[in-house]
Amino acid sequence: MRDELAQRLVQGLKGAGIDFVTYLPETRLSQILPLIRTEPAIELIPTSSEQEAVTIAVGATLGGKQAAVYMENTGVYVSSYSLLVTGKQLGVPILLVIGYLGGVPDQRNSFLYATIGKHTISVLEGLGIEYQIVEEGEKLESKICDAVRAANAQRAPYALLFAGEFSE
Amino acid sequence: MIRHSCLELLAAKMTDQLVVTSQSGQRIEWSHLSKHEGNLLLGMMGCAIGVATGLALALPHRKVIALDSDGSVLLSLFNLATLGNLRPKNLVVYVFDNGVYSGSRISYPTATAGNTDLAAMARGAGILNARTISDIAEFKTKGIGALTSNELGFFVCKVEESLLHREIPRPNTDLAENKYRFVRYLERTEGKAILFVGRG
Repeated sequence: MRDELAQRLVQGLKGAGIDFVTYLPETRLSQILPLIRTEPAIELIPTSSEQEAVTIAVGATLGGKQAAVYMENTGVYVSSYSLLVTGKQLGVPILLVIGYLGGVPDQRNSFLYATIGKHTISVLEGLGIEYQIVEEGEKLESKICDAVRAANAQRAPYALLFAGEFSE
Repeated sequence: MIRHSCLELLAAKMTDQLVVTSQSGQRIEWSHLSKHEGNLLLGMMGCAIGVATGLALALPHRKVIALDSDGSVLLSLFNLATLGNLRPKNLVVYVFDNGVYSGSRISYPTATAGNTDLAAMARGAGILNARTISDIAEFKTKGIGALTSNELGFFVCKVEESLLHREIPRPNTDLAENKYRFVRYLERTEGKAILFVGRG
């Protein structure tokens, strides 16, 4: 991912009101982590599993934060239980910022990732989580704002899957 | 020592603390003992410590309590490593460890009935004040005492299996109803709007 895109992504999160990010790092979007770490408006919380990245973000949202979870799409599988029982069942909005490995628009797709990518959308749909695939930087900031607004309106997680230019 | 006796002592100390419970026995018994608006009764296992951690980080000036079970903690052991590094000073975790999957109604043993020591695991994960509590006197001093300390506490309370919660009416508050009551309470006591329940 170009540095300019990483910076816009982080500023987009900030501009959408995100002030709390839990994460487990991955390969496609990892450049955002040092940028978030030095961004005073966003609290960055490392976790040991995407499942708790979700539950910690849910707790922070209930406590008044506007929280996002940054994860690889493999984390969707790992966290599907907590996404369902805290995000969906309890009805708590969180933004999911997901590196979309193995999807068709993943520029680094290979046999290692293709199976992971192939099932990601159907798992999100099975969980009833709305999503948008973001492949280029055009209107990035407004897409993030729209996603946060949708999550809050639905009282549910909303996923942005980053591939295309973001996976170069 | 039984869980209900510990919870009775804890309930008597509640003022403005936020309490997150996991399913199942501790959720039922706590909802019976405490009607406080700061109670968040989660309807599932393996999520209470995570949600409580998020609350503790978002509201560092509020004491947050997680009421959990051995089966539930075993389902989310990654929480220990994260807590051991974050060490939120305003969080106290009570794990009521009866050594069985009591909610399953056949009470098959959990790993803690065998060789597994959750307090030792917590210490190994970096939680400094992690200890096993074996009797009610120790719960009064060490367990209740943690409510006034400024340090992450993780207490594995060894309790006998008790089926008392099956004789207590289950909470009839819907999960969403409980969430909104909890969030409105926070709005009122924190003097700020919780963002997602804002504009209509």
